[in-house]
Amino acid sequence: MMQRTIPIAILCLSGTIMVAAYFLSFAQSWGETVTTWFNILAAVALVLGAGNLIAVNLEKISSQRAGWGYAAITLGSFAFMLVVGLLKVGAVPDPKHPGVAFAGSYESAASPFGWMYEYVMSPLTATMFAMLAFYVASAAFRAFRAKNVESILLLGTAFIVLLAQTAAGMFLTGWIPEDSAFAFLRLDHIKTGIMNHVQTAGMRAIMIGIALGIVAMSLRLILGIDRSYLSKN
Amino acid sequence: MTNEAQTTKARGFIGVLTRLDRRWIFLAMGLSIAVPILLKLRFPEYPGPMAKATFNAIEAVPEGSTILISFDYDPASAAELQPMASALVHHCASRRLKMVFTALWPLGKQQADRTIETVLKPFHPEYKEGVDYVQLGFQAGNEGVIKLLATNLPKQYPNDASGEAIENLPLLEGVEDLGAFKLIASVSAGYPGAKEWVLYGNGAMPDAFSVVAGSTGVQVGQLLPYYPQQLEGILVAVKGAAEYETLVEEKYPAPDSTVIGQGRVRMGPQLVAHLLMIGLIILGNVAMIAGRPRGGAR
Amino acid sequence: MNDQAGNETTDRRPAPRRHTLLWISLAALGVSICVLRVAAAAQTGDASAAEAARSLWQTVGIWVAALMTLGIFSFLFKDNPLYKVCESILIGVSAAYWMVYAFWSTLVPQLFAKLSPTLVREHVMPSLAISATPTQDFLLSLVPLVLGGMLLWRLAPKGQWISVWPIAMIIGVTAGLRITSALESDFLAQIAATMKPLVAFTSSVDAAGVEIRSFDFWGSVSGVVGVVGVLSVLTYFLFSVEHKGAVGKTARLGIWFLMITFGGAFGLTVMGRITLLAQRFEFLFREWLGIA
Repeated sequence: MMQRTIPIAILCLSGTIMVAAYFLSFAQSWGETVTTWFNILAAVALVLGAGNLIAVNLEKISSQRAGWGYAAITLGSFAFMLVVGLLKVGAVPDPKHPGVAFAGSYESAASPFGWMYEYVMSPLTATMFAMLAFYVASAAFRAFRAKNVESILLLGTAFIVLLAQTAAGMFLTGWIPEDSAFAFLRLDHIKTGIMNHVQTAGMRAIMIGIALGIVAMSLRLILGIDRSYLSKN
Repeated sequence: MTNEAQTTKARGFIGVLTRLDRRWIFLAMGLSIAVPILLKLRFPEYPGPMAKATFNAIEAVPEGSTILISFDYDPASAAELQPMASALVHHCASRRLKMVFTALWPLGKQQADRTIETVLKPFHPEYKEGVDYVQLGFQAGNEGVIKLLATNLPKQYPNDASGEAIENLPLLEGVEDLGAFKLIASVSAGYPGAKEWVLYGNGAMPDAFSVVAGSTGVQVGQLLPYYPQQLEGILVAVKGAAEYETLVEEKYPAPDSTVIGQGRVRMGPQLVAHLLMIGLIILGNVAMIAGRPRGGAR
Repeated sequence: MNDQAGNETTDRRPAPRRHTLLWISLAALGVSICVLRVAAAAQTGDASAAEAARSLWQTVGIWVAALMTLGIFSFLFKDNPLYKVCESILIGVSAAYWMVYAFWSTLVPQLFAKLSPTLVREHVMPSLAISATPTQDFLLSLVPLVLGGMLLWRLAPKGQWISVWPIAMIIGVTAGLRITSALESDFLAQIAATMKPLVAFTSSVDAAGVEIRSFDFWGSVSGVVGVVGVLSVLTYFLFSVEHKGAVGKTARLGIWFLMITFGGAFGLTVMGRITLLAQRFEFLFREWLGIA
């Protein structure tokens, strides 16, 4: 009962409260309370994730597996960031309450925590995402093949959008007057037409399909049909 | 020579293409972006209908009105969205609009702070915090935040980001809900973002305020269905940012065009890189077609 | 030392490979230049001590950011220790950042402030509003406190079933929220938006003030394309019906709509990724090297 019935009941109850809060005005405050609990648990889940990170990396270091040095670096940077953040080391005092120990902002760039965010985390995150540009180029060369009608449609549309978004679009078709009968042949007009009509239609259908999938899955969970989250122990 | 031998022994240019190390492609991509930046390649921007609609929507807000700007993105999307946010804040401040900043993404608050420090304070030093602008910061809850803002703003934000109680802020005195704002602008990279502002903000109070959005290219597909009825204007990716900057700079020149001009700067490398992408796709297909065995079984 | 067959093996460390030496040399050169520029910045005669210290940390920060950016980019050439170091730092710093953020932004104001408002007001949030219902707040906050403790039990070697209770609550709240939001925003709103007139008209007023309605060709095309597109793509997604005959043809049209959709999405995605890369290059050229 403790391992199966009560969790199922908790899930069913919390899900039902959230649905009820949407439709019933008297249940709205219950929904707000449950949402607050959810936010707190989400924050604790981050603590859990950090704990898991520590456990995995400590195990790697203690067993001296290949690459344990990198695990040590991970833990070291984690520990430093955690200490300066939780203890608000070097935080700029709140000008309105300078005497209150932890009232200052830990995020300002003048504090070590803010410095680490500004000069370590932010550039590293942005650079990781920026790497995708290289891989997109490589994938375009290796994988984009016009073998059938569908792929030709995809590539043709991609070419139109790629050209229309830059000065090349204006160079190629910008000379066609906007108010002429042939204005629809301008690349920017074609791109707008594709985005506003065809792409919108496709996205709408995809979103409808995803919504139905979400609803089906959520109902399965709330009604207790899907119990995959339960512990196997 | 058999057909199989022909394909495996592709020579000359086609052979080079088939066996090309992808690091050469990486190098080409890197150069296609680095060289235009170093050469300061710039092209004129011709604002499209969506950028013009966004500009006009803000122009239509009476001077002195209060608007809400939501920073719903993180540093990963800042390259595309920060130029929009900077131009938006400069435009609104030039129109003497009072601004309330929020964030539905945790790191959005930092982006808002950065915009305040780099645009609002240097270009509009007459703006005072608490009187002309307020930084409410981030609140967890996704669309729940918007739902509560639509009915009870002080309950959602009892304090601003610095911890000051809402009732002590002159700008928010008497503000009960979203109806106090004439316009809501969301610079968004995904969920939660502009779509949620349209659905739960505009949906709750259809005629109370206008909504405009700035979006990454990847996410804009989800916003197009709402334009122009629920969304008066959308800025699409860095191109939209560049077009909007052109409109704003024309009417309200900024003291430092390197800050309100990042979108146009980033359009230079776009041309070369896009042409490279098209070239790579064509070359890849040429290699595929030329590398096919002649007349034999495929 | 001897191997398993008893043959003598030499225990020599292999000579450092050329590219390892290259990386070490580059790193040493970079550190040297960094130290020189930091020293030069610190010696700025007309800056106050605080200004000099601030610009010193900014300079150090820019160099750290630049070297880490290059470290990540080095993976494009080959996987290497510098990349792995940067990756490890990113993992550690990100995990800690989110934990600190969760603590100060959620746990303190939403949990601890309700459990012990006086303590929090005294030491953390002096502007914390005094609640009209402190006892109710305290009692209600005990639930997430207990559930949060149960969630952390996941790290324990035994009794992990205890963490399933809060996990069930997280899943339940998410499911309940997503049902209504998905239906409202991604289902009903999209269907409503698809219902545009298939034969559209525009209205205008002539000089006499008489309203004139004229056929709007592009508006009608938009309506037809929208409806046909949505229905054909949804037909394609109907996998419980065999795609033959009329259904097959409609599904094929749906695929074409999807291909155009993905082609457009690809073009926009490329633009986004290139913008990200351009921003990193701008940082390296302008803020770090001071060129361009």
